[in-house]
Amino acid sequence: MYYAGVDVGSTTTKAAILDVNRALLGTSLLATGADVTLAGQRAFDRAVAAAEIEPHDVTMIIGTGYGRYKVTFGHAQITEISCHAKGASFLFPNTRTLLDIGGQDTKAIRIGVGGEVLEFVMNDKCAAGTGRFLDASAQVLDIPLEDLGTTGLRARAPIKLSNVCTVFVESEILSHTARGRPTEDIVGGVHKAIASRSVALLRRVGIEEEVTFTGGVSRNVGMQRAIEEALGTSLNVSELSQHMGAIGAALFALERSEGKHVSPGVQVST
Amino acid sequence: MQTTFQHQGAGLRLQKEMMTAWYARQEQAVQTKLPIAYVFIGGSPNELLRNFGYELAFPEINALQCGIKKAAGPNIIRAEDFGYSSDVCGYVKNDIGLMLNDYQSPQGRLAKPDFLVCNASGCATYLKWWEALAQHFAVPLFVLDVPYVQGDEIPAEEIEYVEAQIHELIELLERQTGQALDMARLKTDLAYAAQTEERWSQLLDLATHHPSPFDSYFEAVFFMANINIFRGTKEAVTYYDEVLKELKERIDHGVGPIPQEKVRVVVEGPPPWPHFRSFWELFKPWGVVCVASTYSKVGGLWDQGFRHDPSRPIRSMAEGMLHAYCNWSLPKRQALIRSYIDHFDADALVIHSVKSCRSFSVGQADLREYFHHEAKVPTLFVESDLADPRYFSHAQLRNRIDAFFESLEHRKLARGGAGGGP
Repeated sequence: MYYAGVDVGSTTTKAAILDVNRALLGTSLLATGADVTLAGQRAFDRAVAAAEIEPHDVTMIIGTGYGRYKVTFGHAQITEISCHAKGASFLFPNTRTLLDIGGQDTKAIRIGVGGEVLEFVMNDKCAAGTGRFLDASAQVLDIPLEDLGTTGLRARAPIKLSNVCTVFVESEILSHTARGRPTEDIVGGVHKAIASRSVALLRRVGIEEEVTFTGGVSRNVGMQRAIEEALGTSLNVSELSQHMGAIGAALFALERSEGKHVSPGVQVST
Repeated sequence: MQTTFQHQGAGLRLQKEMMTAWYARQEQAVQTKLPIAYVFIGGSPNELLRNFGYELAFPEINALQCGIKKAAGPNIIRAEDFGYSSDVCGYVKNDIGLMLNDYQSPQGRLAKPDFLVCNASGCATYLKWWEALAQHFAVPLFVLDVPYVQGDEIPAEEIEYVEAQIHELIELLERQTGQALDMARLKTDLAYAAQTEERWSQLLDLATHHPSPFDSYFEAVFFMANINIFRGTKEAVTYYDEVLKELKERIDHGVGPIPQEKVRVVVEGPPPWPHFRSFWELFKPWGVVCVASTYSKVGGLWDQGFRHDPSRPIRSMAEGMLHAYCNWSLPKRQALIRSYIDHFDADALVIHSVKSCRSFSVGQADLREYFHHEAKVPTLFVESDLADPRYFSHAQLRNRIDAFFESLEHRKLARGGAGGGP
């Protein structure tokens, strides 16, 4: 018996397969694109293939992320807030505070001993200080997104950004490049600006160790360092950080199948 | 027991009938030579203006009607094209947009003002709104300066200050109309007002039942229109008799606004009128019922015991103007919400913050901090707007609402309680 979580995010779609012993058998990650339902199905198919099982062997599927209601082949939907908390507690059981920075959202979540969400806050409606902000910065600096982290680590005198607006960042960065500021100092400044905003969000829920960092932006080593410096503590970051929501959803699926009935969420009405 | 309902739907049906007739009177005001007074809902001097033959018009109600009927968006854009900033109150811009479109609205052609009474001094933007209309239509504007209520007891001199202004208003009305105040009628109308206020308070208190027979936000915002518009008339008293029958019948049959009440909440802030139904739909899957709301108190805090009093006509009108929700200080609002949570046995607080309304939204972040961290009441904070449809982001609101009730349910389940989810 196998359990799946499908996390349809604004930028990427992830899936994870667990067995009954909570062993992670397979994952997948792909760009969400325009067809959200198709992205969910493809991510599921790829995770099933990676796990080397058959789709019909999966007992329960739970959808999460912005596109969770489009995971029409799933059995229930749970928000990524609950799923990230669940996944983070599974990989790092002492997690009490979670920072998740995705493509369009930043979430600060305080987590109970059982992995339950005690409180959460999210960024305002705009994408200021999220993954999109990093995308825009990388684009205007003409460096690959995956190189942003290591570039930022080389900063000697990070610039101070006046705001973290994804729309206005382009002109602000251009003004710094025009003044001849090194690229690494600009990227370092971008990381510091996001870190400062993220820590302010974390303070609203209360920062209690251990702190786990998830979401696509957690893969950026420069962001990890900037947040650790701003927080004054180290972060839990996993190779599977981007898959945390999908893993959490798969764990909820497993719990439901075990009849524990301690998982929340909306059932898919058929 | 055989389930027979005799009164269901009465509240909405009668309200629609009364409001349709009221709007028709306004539409024909020019032909019938009916003078129109524009007033605000909070602490409106209804009985006094009717005494001098004025029909009341509430541009705030026009704005919410335009919001519900999807007309507010074009009105707001028209006002912005005219030069109003995107940060200005959505209600104001809706009305300016209506004005620029010769008051064509989903309710028909709305009446223009003959007289403006600014009775809501808690919101500075509102005064500027009335000033703009007074200038545009070249009609008189009377401004009441109503002190903000700070402490538990209102100082006598503050009540006397408002009372003196009401006397000035009476003098102005007598000069404008050539009529003397009919004190006998005023006392009769204030007696109707007190009876209406009593029934409205009884109605609101029915939400103490489990399950609550009605939603004190999503339904009460409709029931409240009649006390705000028709307070001081016999028809308003009769209306609430009928609504009470409807709600008591629901109690007798153990039914509420949704099939199964699972979570009881108090709601702070105005509704997002352009997306009213879809906003409610976001709460329904979680079995959420609102048992008390602050928005239903914008006209007056009658549920806190205040009544108009025919034996003290002018003084009780002055007290009424002071006791509107938006005229209360933040600590008083906080204490009121706290009392609602206890009295109505609520599980959580929902704050709907309104981007373009300072009068409501200032201090809501502090309310959230207090309730979540000090009072230990789970608090959901969501934001959109009361009139501007552009600020309603369905996917983001759904994510926040789902996550909040999901975590509330998760904690309940983890404690071994009954599940709240569908």
